Amino acid sequence: MADFVQLVILGLLAGGVYVAVGVGFGLVWGVLNIVNLAHGALVIVGGYITWQLFSAFHLDPFLTLPVDAVALFVIGYALQRGVINRIIRAPLLFTFLLTFGVNLVIINILLLIFGSDFRSVTPHYSGQGLELGSVVVPYVRLASLAAAILLAAGLAFVLNRTRIGLAIHAISSDRDAAQLVGIDLRHAYAVTYGLGAACAGVAGGLIALIQAITPTAGEPYTLQAFVVVILGGLGRVSATVVGGLAFGLVEVFGQSIPGSGSVFANAIAFGLMVVVLVTRPQGLMGRLR
Amino acid sequence: MRKLGLLAVVAMAAVACGGSSPSAPTTGSTIILGAPLGLTGSLTKESTLTQQGYNLWLDWINARGGILVNGVKHPVTILYHDDTSNANQSAVLMQKLITEEKANFLLGPYGSAATATDAAIAEQNQIPMVEANGAAQSIFNQGYKYTFGVLSPANKYLQGVIDMAATLNPAPKTIFMLSADDNFSLEVANAIVTYAPTKGMTVFPLKKYKNGATNLSAEVQAAKAANPDIVLNSGHLTEAIAINKAAKEQKLNAKIFAYSVGPSTPDFITALSKDADYVYDGSQWTPQVKYTPAFYLTVAQYVAAYKAKYPTEGDPDYHVAESTAACLALQRAIENAGSLDPKKVRDALAALDVVTFFGQIKFDSRGINIYKPMVVEQIQNGVHHTVFPDTVADAKPKYPTPSWDQR
Repeated sequence: MADFVQLVILGLLAGGVYVAVGVGFGLVWGVLNIVNLAHGALVIVGGYITWQLFSAFHLDPFLTLPVDAVALFVIGYALQRGVINRIIRAPLLFTFLLTFGVNLVIINILLLIFGSDFRSVTPHYSGQGLELGSVVVPYVRLASLAAAILLAAGLAFVLNRTRIGLAIHAISSDRDAAQLVGIDLRHAYAVTYGLGAACAGVAGGLIALIQAITPTAGEPYTLQAFVVVILGGLGRVSATVVGGLAFGLVEVFGQSIPGSGSVFANAIAFGLMVVVLVTRPQGLMGRLR
Repeated sequence: MRKLGLLAVVAMAAVACGGSSPSAPTTGSTIILGAPLGLTGSLTKESTLTQQGYNLWLDWINARGGILVNGVKHPVTILYHDDTSNANQSAVLMQKLITEEKANFLLGPYGSAATATDAAIAEQNQIPMVEANGAAQSIFNQGYKYTFGVLSPANKYLQGVIDMAATLNPAPKTIFMLSADDNFSLEVANAIVTYAPTKGMTVFPLKKYKNGATNLSAEVQAAKAANPDIVLNSGHLTEAIAINKAAKEQKLNAKIFAYSVGPSTPDFITALSKDADYVYDGSQWTPQVKYTPAFYLTVAQYVAAYKAKYPTEGDPDYHVAESTAACLALQRAIENAGSLDPKKVRDALAALDVVTFFGQIKFDSRGINIYKPMVVEQIQNGVHHTVFPDTVADAKPKYPTPSWDQR
């Protein structure tokens, strides 16, 4: 029983990272209709910012998360205005090609700056945890989950309670009508992509705490964000939170199947995605539009 | 008149220099070696180390005028291509190196996967490939005649740890074996599953995970539930770091933590700082080993040469050393063959038996070096120490590993 509880906790904690990675990806996909293949690379940029601030200035990694968010927002905004906006109404294939290209460029810039060494943020409290009998709750992962939930809540607040958020909603519902009522499409698009990148940056900061990063470490996260968003459902932040936590649980329980369960953890997650697509195409929490 | 006299002296000097004695070597054609490496992509780190090893030898041999073949010195050049850490791309580039760029001989890429695809190309074209970074025996069980690996094969990677554990007191009895699901890692792991019982140890059922996994908390939880004396991992640097982090977070304690690949690289220590202490690994080579080389540099000279060329990198790790060793094997085989003919060099490689700073290089009938032992390293206070076998060790194992609460 304690083992089961431990696995549930580990799964939910692992889900925290997936929530953080998924919310930004889902926002960009839902509003701009771009499957952003550069998302993982943006995540790792955030990871490197946290690592740099931690190793050079001994800043607590959790305090660097707002820096990640702001820096990545600026990068994302500029990237959208300068590059991605050019294919905003192009067929999906073009968005794949362009964002994949952006992904390669970012990775190679990171390689030039940081080299291919493995970097990890290891603060003094890393590895410590709350012990409840035989069940352990690692502090760093718990704080990461909390940060991810806060991030999702913050994003939901921006989208639902601010003027620009409502503009983004309007575009997502009907692009042409939004333009007719005077919404500056280019600005709103760029803000959307910037917000997506900011979320990626925060996710990267959290990832640098729990694993070693290299410039190419973001690639699996693009794929995982894709599954998380489909599992939860496109178009709502809360749905992505559910998707992320569900993905974490599926992964951990998949891995703990005796024998070679771990090898199939991804297959189980993707299998679940297919089942969701067949039975509930709008996702676990999504609404049909 | 003075000018004429000067000209006469210069002319005589030129004649004297031109008429060299027949024994001094002349310069022959440049030998082209080809090597696809993952200079971008997921294997960039290890591929860069491989390239450093190749380049260290290249500088040395060219400073001596090149490889001596029947009294003619042939300078050497190495053509590198970036295979983006993709095994299929590596094979495409290998073919390009042979057909378009006329490489005389081949040096291996990084990793068992790319080495396996490249070995097939070397075989088809009958050009010898000497490799240093593909240890999976599956590469050598194909009956290939043109691929030679200077490193100890995968099944030896963690056997040294078991041999060492058998000498320790209190003797560890149980092993939890984790493994990534790639060919190389599984060979390392399966060798332990069959070898450990011969030393009186029990191995829990092998726990496999996806190659490249970053979240290994469920695997670590399974190990914790088993409460073993030894936790072994057969994987790569990424997974070794992930397992060590999860072990601390989830309070998995064991007398020995040993990982096949990862702890020997400086990144393992920088990424984990103090938590890297007490971890063991099986290593192809360490800067502390004691071999008496028949040619090239001694171990100490090699370490010094590496630090002079790459002053920011610290000690060379085994990826660098084994890559240099591949070049040495090829050099000696070309010299022994007395020819640049691929078939003759291939035969000379098959017959090679020489001790270098890296250890003995000799190939079995499959082309892999089963004659060089692996050594066991342990990280002690942030520094790598060789702890087994005793003949090459510079420190005693710190055993047992204290629990996480007591560090």
